[in-house]
Amino acid sequence: MKMEHWWFTAPLRLKSIFRRGRAEQELDEELQFHLEKKIEEGVAEGLAPEEARVRAIRAMGGLDQRKEEIRDARRIHWLTDFLDDVRYALRSLRRTPGLSALVVVTIALGIGMTATPFSMLDGLIFRPYPVPHPGNVVTLVSTSRDNAYDSFSYREYLDIRDHTKSYDGVVANAGLQSVGFASRPGETPQVRGGLLVSGNYFRVLGVEPTLGRGFRDEEDRVPGRDAVVVLAPDFWKREFAADPSVVGKMVRLNGVDFTVIGVAPESFPGMFIFMRPDFYVPFAMAGKFSTDPRKNFFVDRDDRELTVRGRLRAGTSLREARSELAVLARSFEREYPKASRERGAAVRTQFEMRTQDSDVNWKFGVIFTVLALAVLLVACTNAAGLLLSRARTRTREIAVRLAIGAGRFRLVRLLLTESLVLALLGGLGGIAVGYAGIAALDTFTIPTELPMKVPFHMDLRVMIASLVLAALSAIFCGLAPALQSTRTDLWKGLKSADGEEPGRARKRLWGRNALVVAQVAMSLMLLAASFLMFRGFRHSIGEGVDFARDAKDHVLMVRFDPRLVQYDTARTELFYKRLSERLREVPDVRGTAYTQNPPLGLDDFDRLAFVPEGFQMPRDRENFASMMDTVDDGFFETMGVPILRGRGFRTSDDTNSPRVAVVNEFFASHYWPNQNAIGKRFRLDRSDGAPVEIVGIAKAVKYRDSPVGKSIDFVYLPVAQHPSARLVLLVNAARDPLQMLEPVKEAVRALDPNMPLLETRTYGDLYRYSVVEGPGVAVKLVGTLGVVGLILAIAGLYGLVAYNVARRTREIGIRIAIGAKPVDVLRLVMSKGLLLVGIGAAIGLVMGIAVERLMNAMLFNAGGVDHLVYLVVVPAMVLVTMLAAYAPARKAAHIAPTLALRCE
Amino acid sequence: MSKPADLVQGTLDLLLLKLLAVEPLHGWAISLRLRAVSGDVLQVSEGSLYPALHKLEQEGWIKAEWKTTENNRRAKFYALTRLGRKQLDLEASNWQRLSTAISRVVQLSEA
Repeated sequence: MKMEHWWFTAPLRLKSIFRRGRAEQELDEELQFHLEKKIEEGVAEGLAPEEARVRAIRAMGGLDQRKEEIRDARRIHWLTDFLDDVRYALRSLRRTPGLSALVVVTIALGIGMTATPFSMLDGLIFRPYPVPHPGNVVTLVSTSRDNAYDSFSYREYLDIRDHTKSYDGVVANAGLQSVGFASRPGETPQVRGGLLVSGNYFRVLGVEPTLGRGFRDEEDRVPGRDAVVVLAPDFWKREFAADPSVVGKMVRLNGVDFTVIGVAPESFPGMFIFMRPDFYVPFAMAGKFSTDPRKNFFVDRDDRELTVRGRLRAGTSLREARSELAVLARSFEREYPKASRERGAAVRTQFEMRTQDSDVNWKFGVIFTVLALAVLLVACTNAAGLLLSRARTRTREIAVRLAIGAGRFRLVRLLLTESLVLALLGGLGGIAVGYAGIAALDTFTIPTELPMKVPFHMDLRVMIASLVLAALSAIFCGLAPALQSTRTDLWKGLKSADGEEPGRARKRLWGRNALVVAQVAMSLMLLAASFLMFRGFRHSIGEGVDFARDAKDHVLMVRFDPRLVQYDTARTELFYKRLSERLREVPDVRGTAYTQNPPLGLDDFDRLAFVPEGFQMPRDRENFASMMDTVDDGFFETMGVPILRGRGFRTSDDTNSPRVAVVNEFFASHYWPNQNAIGKRFRLDRSDGAPVEIVGIAKAVKYRDSPVGKSIDFVYLPVAQHPSARLVLLVNAARDPLQMLEPVKEAVRALDPNMPLLETRTYGDLYRYSVVEGPGVAVKLVGTLGVVGLILAIAGLYGLVAYNVARRTREIGIRIAIGAKPVDVLRLVMSKGLLLVGIGAAIGLVMGIAVERLMNAMLFNAGGVDHLVYLVVVPAMVLVTMLAAYAPARKAAHIAPTLALRCE
Repeated sequence: MSKPADLVQGTLDLLLLKLLAVEPLHGWAISLRLRAVSGDVLQVSEGSLYPALHKLEQEGWIKAEWKTTENNRRAKFYALTRLGRKQLDLEASNWQRLSTAISRVVQLSEA
């Protein structure tokens, strides 16, 4: 239809909808006018007024018929019918308030249970980048044998930027984990996290700063020339109270003055899931943030720290971009065989980036969502069962409607509207439940001063998803009962409230039996899965954290970075040495230690490249990599990490003595299986690198806060031989570690009053987050899903079985009347119920085992099938079924046959 | 008694549009005018008049307005819209073609 036409008719339709009363009134008046004229005409012809009136109405062919025709002409009857249906549905639902409430609560629980995991899934996978046209933004990754998502070096980025044609622009960023930030010169610096970005970062991503401007390309051209910074919106609000005059002001980053040129918009919190950078500086200033004097950011082709993203040019396919980059990667390999050996490159979409195999968070999101959907399915089955029993009791009403001429389609629509109303009420309830769940997720905070955020929240997307789910479940729960109850044969339906004819009865029962079976199977699977996850988490929580038994109550952590106050390496070393000397004299201090990042710490561990001596290297590998930490001589004792063999570090392990290392048990057995690794050596970086002797083997502990424990190789190097500026001081005290803060501050003040204490917290904080709260949330979530699923399933099972038996009251009466004993009746009814539960349990068992296998393979690598679940749950289900069948069966068996026969 | 010719299917719209193109009218006046102009040949049942008018209104071809009649009664007057004018032209030319074609067929000389 033509546009112009709609322009004219749309207001007319709207008028018909919203001014329905007025339109009706006008219609009456118009027809009345006509009638009066017609009557006048008749009277003028000599008829009696009454006769004239009859003739007038007859000429119209009946007033109401015409009105109905005219209403149809308005073409909104689908809507008015729908509104009528809703009104009717509300009225009829009010007639059975208990049952309606039950259905609403059931659906609300089901939907609410899905809202929380979906918000996780949304935050972790689906939420698009906060930039215009996020779909065109792809991530370019370097690929190697070990890592299919590796970063690029600065030189590689420049080559990619200049030699690809598939993109409207290629940007890059690198994280700055801890930068000393002072809003005024002279102020004590605070540690903040920012991002080094390419000069085209904001322009290519399409981010327009709210204040000031973004970077210009030339500001990223000359190393060290343009000290400019763009602030992130949150940071600007927190640190500058949203002061708009901040643009043009100077701030200090690592002791260097930077000019604030802009503030990024509220809509752009950054491109990451968890991390929210505080500020952005151009790559050209990277020299001011370098942490490793051995590396040169601008030169080293193997210093891979850059996340590279491109905006695909319109009309360029992903495949073209991929092959272009692959060609470029091959030329890297040819030209720089050393830095780019065995390296490729790939273009990845946002979805691919967020569903990396090595990342477990999204996998948990998916598993939670699947479990939650199973709960929803159980809830829907329940609701369907309830609606079915409701529809059955309305057989007569529906038969009457059919008899007086209602179309079947119209009736199905009416019944579906009822379930839609229920489901929408349930959906709204579900959003409330979901809010509560997400609020529970939000209560734990990540203990770091870096800007990290838990990205799960109830936004419009989650709400819409919930309501769509609700509508779908309405159709799912409502369609079968609606179709079934409108199929009634009139004479049967009119005769009894619960008419049943032999042939069809079998078919109907089949549907209800299927519901029972499905419910048992689903809930068993759900329980098996939640039980396994519960156990898996509990297991991994307890694993490898024994070492912290003492540390979590006694250790205080303080982070220092003397570079913030312009210390050089020698001065830094001296400061650390003096500090620990002083602290060891403080009463109640049992020990002090330094580490770069304690076990369970939130920083990434450095990686050590090494070649074990006497180990046959694979031909295509130059070295191996392992996680590492540099620690001092007090570390193992202070932290409580046991040395299994050999020794820990000594003060004598310094630059004047041979290089030594302590490795963990996995490292030792990995490279020297069935041998004593003590005394063995490995080389740093290359086979001709500096040799390091292994002097001790430490017990493996849990290093990361990941909920999934895997055996990880780990190497400790003495900080005296591998100096590091940024260290965490650990103070183990005989009393409350927080009380040690004052003595620590005093000792620092005595050495240098300007030295900032970057992060101070107890090790207990870290422990609680990594070991208790984080996994605790997951355990709670899984536990809740399992329990809610079980309750729903048992309630539904009870309802269905009891209803099935109650419906057979008449049949039971007949049986008793012709001589059956109550015991026979009980046996009859029970055996049927038990058969259904048996079938359901068998299916559930198979599904449960499959799910357990899958989850074991994906996450835990541990444990077989949990028989305990089945041993507990199957008998519970059988018991419930028996109870559900028993009560009504007993009642029916003891009822007087005459009553039972009369029962409808 | 001669039976009035049944209204050719679909021509009611054309008639109504044409009548309203002359001047805005209310329903009763339209029924009188139809009878008068066509000399009782075209009898539109009063029952089908109003649904037809409402349909035209919903199509946006005519618009309604409440005005007072010469006898000071409130009545709903229908008037042609711009869109209705186009529709009238279209239907009129269709009708012309149809009637020309039919009269040619009717005038075929019998051998």
